[in-house]
Amino acid sequence: MTVSSDTTSTKAPHGPIAELGQRFRQNIQTYTIILALVAIWVFFAFLTKGAYLSAQNFSNLFRQMTVTSFLAIGMVLVIVTGNIDLSVGKVAGFVSVVVAHFQARVWNHLIPDQPILAATLSVLIGLGIGTLFHCIQGYLTAYLNIPAFIVTLGGLFVMRGGILLVTQGKTIPANQPGFSFIAQGYASPTFGWIAAALVVIFLFFNMVNSRRRKRKYGFELQNFYIDLSVTIFFSILVVVYVYVVNQYNGIQMPVLLLAIAAIIMSYMSNNTRFGRYAYAIGGNREAARLSGINIKRNVFLVFVLMGFLCGVAGVVLASYVGYGTIAAGEGYELDAIASAILGGTSTLGGVGTIFGALTGSLIMSSLTTGLQMLNVAPAWQYLLKGMVLVLAVFGDVYFKKNK
Amino acid sequence: MSDDIILDIQNVTKRFPGVTALDNVSIQIRRGEIHGICGENGAGKSTLMKILSGVYPYGTYDGKILYDGKELQLKDRSIQQAMDQGIAIVYQELTLVTNMTVGENVYLGKEPTEHGSINWNKLYADTKEILNKYHLDVQPQAIVKHLGVGKMQMVEIAKALSENAKILILDEPTSALTEAEIDKLMEILKTLKSHGVTCIYISHKLEEFFRITDTVTVLRDGKSVITQPTSELDRDQLVKYMVGREMKERFPKGNRNPGEIILEVEDLHAEDPNQHGRMVLDGVSFNLRKGEILGIAGLMGSGRTELVTTIFGEYGKITKGAIKIEGKEVKLSNARQAMKHGISLVPEDRKGQGLVLMQTILKNISLPNLEQFSSFFRINSDAELAEASKQAKNLRIKAPSLQILCDSLSGGNQQKVVIAKWLMSKPKILIMDDPTRGIDVGAKFEIYKFMNELAEHGVSIIMISSELEEVLGMCDRVIVMCNGRSSDILDIQEATQERIMALATGIV
Repeated sequence: MTVSSDTTSTKAPHGPIAELGQRFRQNIQTYTIILALVAIWVFFAFLTKGAYLSAQNFSNLFRQMTVTSFLAIGMVLVIVTGNIDLSVGKVAGFVSVVVAHFQARVWNHLIPDQPILAATLSVLIGLGIGTLFHCIQGYLTAYLNIPAFIVTLGGLFVMRGGILLVTQGKTIPANQPGFSFIAQGYASPTFGWIAAALVVIFLFFNMVNSRRRKRKYGFELQNFYIDLSVTIFFSILVVVYVYVVNQYNGIQMPVLLLAIAAIIMSYMSNNTRFGRYAYAIGGNREAARLSGINIKRNVFLVFVLMGFLCGVAGVVLASYVGYGTIAAGEGYELDAIASAILGGTSTLGGVGTIFGALTGSLIMSSLTTGLQMLNVAPAWQYLLKGMVLVLAVFGDVYFKKNK
Repeated sequence: MSDDIILDIQNVTKRFPGVTALDNVSIQIRRGEIHGICGENGAGKSTLMKILSGVYPYGTYDGKILYDGKELQLKDRSIQQAMDQGIAIVYQELTLVTNMTVGENVYLGKEPTEHGSINWNKLYADTKEILNKYHLDVQPQAIVKHLGVGKMQMVEIAKALSENAKILILDEPTSALTEAEIDKLMEILKTLKSHGVTCIYISHKLEEFFRITDTVTVLRDGKSVITQPTSELDRDQLVKYMVGREMKERFPKGNRNPGEIILEVEDLHAEDPNQHGRMVLDGVSFNLRKGEILGIAGLMGSGRTELVTTIFGEYGKITKGAIKIEGKEVKLSNARQAMKHGISLVPEDRKGQGLVLMQTILKNISLPNLEQFSSFFRINSDAELAEASKQAKNLRIKAPSLQILCDSLSGGNQQKVVIAKWLMSKPKILIMDDPTRGIDVGAKFEIYKFMNELAEHGVSIIMISSELEEVLGMCDRVIVMCNGRSSDILDIQEATQERIMALATGIV
């Protein structure tokens, strides 16, 4: 311990319990939403006499949240930079109908009997459309200074028109083998256990490695037992999850994709300049500008990334429901925004995490599933969800004020 | 004029954490006079006005204020109370809703109603009456944003007067006005006086006091130095009262040997990027040597901040002149390019421009320097933390950890974070815009010592300062800005507080 003796060490607490307590207080918001999620699960499990937490329902619950979750993890960065994107639902919808169009009406003429190649091409087209459309929206917002609210509101209408043009008002089937696997497939239980083992090995390796590097730089290390218990805790979560979903078909493909996307996004937001700059721009634009950050380019890139995720969401949507319809993606932008905000993203910009948005999305989908199982009418589902959102944010505002 | 006292300020003291803004101030203001208040930046003028107008309510300061013989106690809704009792203030920054008409602004928040809806006819008729009474040459139905700054000021005054104000406080009303508009304002003030309105007039510009005021009070370091009839004063005396204090041992002495010239600015002209044709720099020339501290003195609005932000590539559009670094002309159009040429800027407003308050000390320090620690994609967070810790330790930032959010730090520590952030990029030229404003004496001293160390290691520093004492105590040479122009470079031996103040107020 040399360099940081009087600046980086935390001297007050001693022992693992005190240190853990301090860590808890620092991340109180994260823990609050996790607790809220657990409370919701317990509540519905109780009312449905356990059926809510059955392997099948649990598996479906996670599968259902994926489409809006892709949008929500992109939305976090958009909102963090102080912008908003109202177009994501319809962009994903448009992608889904275009992909369905290619699946049903194009590939069977051009490349019949090659379902894997066809599906791959469809995916690429879907990702391309989402990215391209958001390049335009990002350019208009970042470089031409048109407020994102307006640009993406316009984008929403444009995409709604696009969907009508492609579908001609009809439903397009997208349930071809190969393509359906993307969102309806399951990884075999064996694969699940191998993946779980790899993740656990990685978690432990990462813990040891990070401690080693910290020692190299001469930092005071956190109590070993805390690091260890945190790592064990996450390992158990992974193992339990795999165990439960293996009871019912195995790991769901879209959840696997979402996990990969979320890990990449989370890594980008914390460990790359791009991510750091996004938070700085939303936190204080002026300070970011004077720090030599290219604000325009950064905001543009955030939109492009959002577009790519819209593409992913659209492909998963088409595969998940098995067809493209005129109602595709209707209202998903609101779910995505609500998820991000439930997960602690500040509408003022500068604050928000990918993990929070995922949890927020899971809360929304847990509510929906639970209410459906209890046969609550859709009208009341909307009423409840709206109230939960406002209450959650009120709670946040209230606790911050009285901290 | 009678000796009837309308406002009797007795021993008012106002403290902020670490700073005493007003220290036992007593001023008597007579009914119907125009009472000027002058002093340097930070002398306590604005604080006093905020107490009178209820921004700082009764109980947050010590001392007593008698208004018409009764104690002034502005408590809940104190700003509204001050207005109701006839104390109105026109702030330095305009506070109009520019999309509304003059009449709507004048009656904003107190629109005359009839059966619950606004009586527009009465509103405009009443506005017209006020405007006519005080000879304010504006149309009640005009949209405010179409008016010039001078007329907007008239609307502000009309708005303040619509409360039947007995006392009108004007806080640096002329800072944005042209000569002709100032003349017009002087006329208006005379009209107000003839209607028996008492005015408190705050300004930097000394000649205005001689044009318009009956009495002048000088504030210095939060204390009232003198209150005297204007006719008994002259300019030199006024300047002396404003600056008159002896130098104390508040500045660590450096051991510097300035070397060759590293930066040259030649006849720089620049215009406001948001307002075509408005010149913010109107002929600035100076040079900076390696390892020296060059002071830029001047009052707020003199163009000093515009000068350094223009050099940094982030403000004015250069229309004429040149900036040379190590003999080569450079054209800098953003902060990144400036940083590449070895320039760092510690901006004027540390909360608004220097820090992302909701982020940690660590993230703030490394923000402009992330390239140092990143390979193609990834930030090496260990290297980042190591380097930031080194800077934090160097500057003695007092915080339990670098993971503390900046908004929980004291002003002095926040400023150290900003400096640490800009030192990490290893600048050759460090520009500091008023680096010690609003921070406590201890932190100031540490920052001074640090500046000396840097200069001894060959870093060239440009320091803008509002405190003359600081300029004289810290700098090797100084230039004085006034109206977008720079004076000649003064060696610190030939500079005196009186000389600088005279140059800054445009007397010589």
